[in-house]
Amino acid sequence: MSDVQLYLIEVDKDKAEAVRIAQQSAQRLEKKELKLIDLITSLEEYINNRDDGNQRAKSVAYLAEVLSSLSPKALSFQEKRLLSDFILGRIEGDLEGIGASARALVALETLGKWDSETAQKVLKTFLDHTHPVRQFKLQTERYAIVQLVDLLLAKYRDAIHKMQEEDPEFMPVFISYFEGEKDPRNLMLVFSLLQVPMTEWDIQANAQDLFESVFNYFPITFKPPPDDPYGITAQDLKDRLRDCIASNSDFAPHAFPQLLDKLDSTSMNTKRDVLQAIQACVIGYEPRTINLYAVTLWDALKFEILNVQEEDLAVESLKALALIAAKMVECGENQLNAYIRPIIKECNEHLEDAPTKQSEAAGKILYAVAASSPPVADRITKGILPALFALFQGSESIVRRRGLLEVFNEITKAYSDLEESFPDLNTEALQAFSTDALDAMLRGFVNAPTAEVSFRLTSLDGLAQLAKLRKVLSDSDIHRVVDAITDVVLHEKIKGHGDIRSNAIKTLTEMAGTVPDAVRDRALPAFMVELPDVPADPSACDSVLEAFAELSSEQRIFDTVVLRLKNKLNAAKHQKAPEKYQRSLLLALLYTFKFGSPRQENGKIQSEYYTDFAEPLVADIRQGLGNVAPSILEITGRICNVVLRSQGAHFQATVYNKDLEWIPSAINASQGAQNQAFTSFVLYYYAALRPEVADAADIVSQLKMQAAVAVNPSAGRNGGSLRLIALLLNKFANPKVMQSTLEACSIEVSALLSNNATPQAINLAFAVVKALITQGKSGALSTRYLDLLLQLLANGSENAVAQQFATILAPDDILTRENHCFVSGLAKQKVFNQAVPHIIEAVRNTTISSTAPTSKSNYLIALSGILRWLPYSILEPSLSSLSPALLQTLDLTSRADDIAKAPTLAIFESALMHDPNVVQEHTASLVTRLLNCCASVQIPNGAKAGIAAANTAPVRAKALLCLALMPRQLKREAVVPYRRQVVKRLLPCLDDPKRAVRMEAVRCRTAWLGLDKGADDEE
Amino acid sequence: MDLDKDNANPTIINPSDLPSRRRSTPDAKPLGIFDALVPAYYPVALVDPLSSPEHLHDASSSDDDLDREEIDEQEVYDLISTISDPEHPLSLGSLGVVTLADIAIIPPSSPQSRISTVRVLVTPTTSACSLTTVIGLGVKVRLMEALPPRFRIDVRIKQGTSKTADEVNKQLGDKERVAAAMENRSLVSVVSNMLATCE
Repeated sequence: MSDVQLYLIEVDKDKAEAVRIAQQSAQRLEKKELKLIDLITSLEEYINNRDDGNQRAKSVAYLAEVLSSLSPKALSFQEKRLLSDFILGRIEGDLEGIGASARALVALETLGKWDSETAQKVLKTFLDHTHPVRQFKLQTERYAIVQLVDLLLAKYRDAIHKMQEEDPEFMPVFISYFEGEKDPRNLMLVFSLLQVPMTEWDIQANAQDLFESVFNYFPITFKPPPDDPYGITAQDLKDRLRDCIASNSDFAPHAFPQLLDKLDSTSMNTKRDVLQAIQACVIGYEPRTINLYAVTLWDALKFEILNVQEEDLAVESLKALALIAAKMVECGENQLNAYIRPIIKECNEHLEDAPTKQSEAAGKILYAVAASSPPVADRITKGILPALFALFQGSESIVRRRGLLEVFNEITKAYSDLEESFPDLNTEALQAFSTDALDAMLRGFVNAPTAEVSFRLTSLDGLAQLAKLRKVLSDSDIHRVVDAITDVVLHEKIKGHGDIRSNAIKTLTEMAGTVPDAVRDRALPAFMVELPDVPADPSACDSVLEAFAELSSEQRIFDTVVLRLKNKLNAAKHQKAPEKYQRSLLLALLYTFKFGSPRQENGKIQSEYYTDFAEPLVADIRQGLGNVAPSILEITGRICNVVLRSQGAHFQATVYNKDLEWIPSAINASQGAQNQAFTSFVLYYYAALRPEVADAADIVSQLKMQAAVAVNPSAGRNGGSLRLIALLLNKFANPKVMQSTLEACSIEVSALLSNNATPQAINLAFAVVKALITQGKSGALSTRYLDLLLQLLANGSENAVAQQFATILAPDDILTRENHCFVSGLAKQKVFNQAVPHIIEAVRNTTISSTAPTSKSNYLIALSGILRWLPYSILEPSLSSLSPALLQTLDLTSRADDIAKAPTLAIFESALMHDPNVVQEHTASLVTRLLNCCASVQIPNGAKAGIAAANTAPVRAKALLCLALMPRQLKREAVVPYRRQVVKRLLPCLDDPKRAVRMEAVRCRTAWLGLDKGADDEE
Repeated sequence: MDLDKDNANPTIINPSDLPSRRRSTPDAKPLGIFDALVPAYYPVALVDPLSSPEHLHDASSSDDDLDREEIDEQEVYDLISTISDPEHPLSLGSLGVVTLADIAIIPPSSPQSRISTVRVLVTPTTSACSLTTVIGLGVKVRLMEALPPRFRIDVRIKQGTSKTADEVNKQLGDKERVAAAMENRSLVSVVSNMLATCE
């Protein structure tokens, strides 16, 4: 059998096999085992089968398949020519297999480039015999044709262009060729190939037809099928169509009227598409074309802004107006004026009754248009500001004046935007009004009644805006502005009037970036005046200090701010200022380094800051050992930490080796509270060090020392020691010899817990376990230890142990990656996997009445302690097995157990949001328990005191929040039965003693009442 | 479509001028930025003298019920100022339809009575506003749903602000007529749209 016969048998059964057969034929051709002439002859019988069109089509498909498998050198020039003539000749008489013919031609073209004559002939044959393409019902056939035409227009532009130039009849045929195409994949190609004539040819005579041929598809409403293999989205089609519409200025007379017509559509999506198309046209068309339509466009677009329907439509319209303005600048003076004039007129009219929705919109228009180009800003300013300030002077109403200033601020904002791209922007027009504006706003900011918050804020905003612009204000004017703002920051003590002061601080900080000299010369000294060396009332200085520290977020004045703080601190120390004041100054320093903008070097804080600021503080501690106040020790530690931790190992080692001389012995020598205070300094200090810096012997001796403090029942509070132990173990101890290290320092957990462990030993054990679990490098050991801790829960009574479980995963500002600690990403998952099944099992098997009455509540408290730190995604898969235990947690009644309820409610909240189906099973029990958790007062006398839970306010609020989610998240039929009960029992919650709870109660009750309304709608 | 509104271009009050809890209780000092610098959330026993244990219980519990925060005018204002106007996508607060000054809480008239009265005066955006009744109804419904039953709710149109004030006041004051209005399906849907923006 010949290959073609085989192919015809296989093609309907096994596509891949058929392709393989064709490839085989191609190989034989290449190896010269088969002659082209023989191959063609073998086709003859089938390709000419008069009775079976289907078979003819398949034969062409075979040919196309063979040709596309050939390598370029396989056929001679003559053969290729013969083949293309053969295929084209067939098309003239027979359209069966047209898609395959097009594919065969594309394959031939890949084998060797055509001359222009062939290219023209191909296109002509197709246009003559296959017009219109829509006659072919199969998308794939049309697709092949479109691909062929696309290829011709991509590679043989000149040849095809010539056809258009020589034959006036060419374009109409070509344009209507694709008419009626609906398939998105084909349309993507059609839109793209039509752009060649649209952008490159002179199509004036056919502009309307060509335009209509694509605009017919506007707006695109295509929704891709869910399993679309080609992944074409509506947006892809919209983008290509928009490019077509915007491609040729000759389209303008047709495009703009139709687009504006569609802008009146009631569909927001259509309006969106129209606005984007208008923007594209404004960018794509010639300036003189836009000039013809500029005012018409303005008249239409302004409505979208003045009467906002959807915010984004207004934004897009503003963009379009700005683009038109930019285009008009290219046109020339007169044209620009003609466009701007109606805008100015309209906006001035709206200013007259400011502040209204429309005066606000006018401000937005002015900003958008003015920011498009400097000459536009200049004209807008000249056209608006005289009227604006005339209105301002003529009105006594503060509200009116505020509305006007808001518009003025929009214009200055346009200038400051422009200044970024045009550094030597001409601001003369604005300068002409700068004195008026400055006086008005200074007066507004300083003298207006404090209740006029928005007026003062607008003035403040405007002042900052003006000061930022170069050349608009003189130096002395800028000083007036800085003085006024500083004065409010320092002296406005009246509270409760909005955010004037915090906004003033923010503005002053911004100005430190734009006019650093003025802030440094005027504001900083004013601050220092308010900060005496020894204040009579230290707490009065706090707000000044806070504001001062906030200024450090601007890098340009950072160094000055920290230096002033340091000097002030030294002076305060020297003159023995109250400890509280010294602490505040230290906190200010800490704030600047933590949240300010210190100079950086290779991505880390410059090491000079340590030498200049932290080191002297450490030296003070060393000198004053035993006499330094505890609060100062801790904050000094934190300052060291923040500056030292990003430094390199070399720098750290130098610092550390120097301090090794005194720190260990100092700890040893200190006693009691002083010891713990000093430990807190050491804690932050060691937290900064890189693991490789520390000396192993020092670490072991530190551990021993701290362990001794930690287990000593008379040492009082020892949290610092516990945290230090956790830090040292996590960061410096070698995981390979962890157990022996623990034993050597006598902090091995099983030893700690054996024989009636003291509370101190148990706390220490938790600290050790926390360190190991966070580190994640001693898997077996931490698993064993965690088990030991879980066993403690079984023997009841010790509520404190259960509560300690919350500490294991609690976030900790010491054990962090920034502090070079080892923080395993799997720690939470591991603890969950090990502890939670154990606890759930225990809860199930324990009854309240058994021997240890509190052990069940202990388990529940431990559970919530672990769960509260877990991301919801970890516990989500186990939700259904967790639910019973979680519900029982909500039943806990004693006051001390309340700590377990809040995290449990948080879990129910997440579950209601993400997995309402799981919660739904428990609807009845959850509703009852949540209602119990909402109750604020104990049931009066009748009931036994202590049994009715008096929930804390956060628990009540959270319970109401969960309860409010139920009608929204669960199926209607699941919740409706409880509606009456819930609505009734929520009434007392509306009278809850706490305002925040009442707010939640209102929300919750509204949600449940809403169920009723839903029922009415369904009837 | 804007032509059929009674007032298409109303004056809007700037959000920072609206009454808020912060403005009405000037004494509450917000936490300073330094207070957040030394966080104290480390729970239970690993805490040390540096991190105050009070924070663990979220400043909650014991003083809870002793320290009652009474329902005041500001709270009533917060309940109704977020209702949206049936004509504009704006809140009644920002349109000045309800103001703090026009809300009064009147304590029980006699020592035996527990019933206090909340009186709200509504100011329509124009004196000819045809939707005045609906706005009044919305305010009334919202307060009936959100305030505990020991409050009697009295919603009226502010004197001299509407041509139809007397008629509307009569309607709003009449329990039967309010109840009847809430049976009217189209009225219910208008009101629930207005209340949809309430938090």
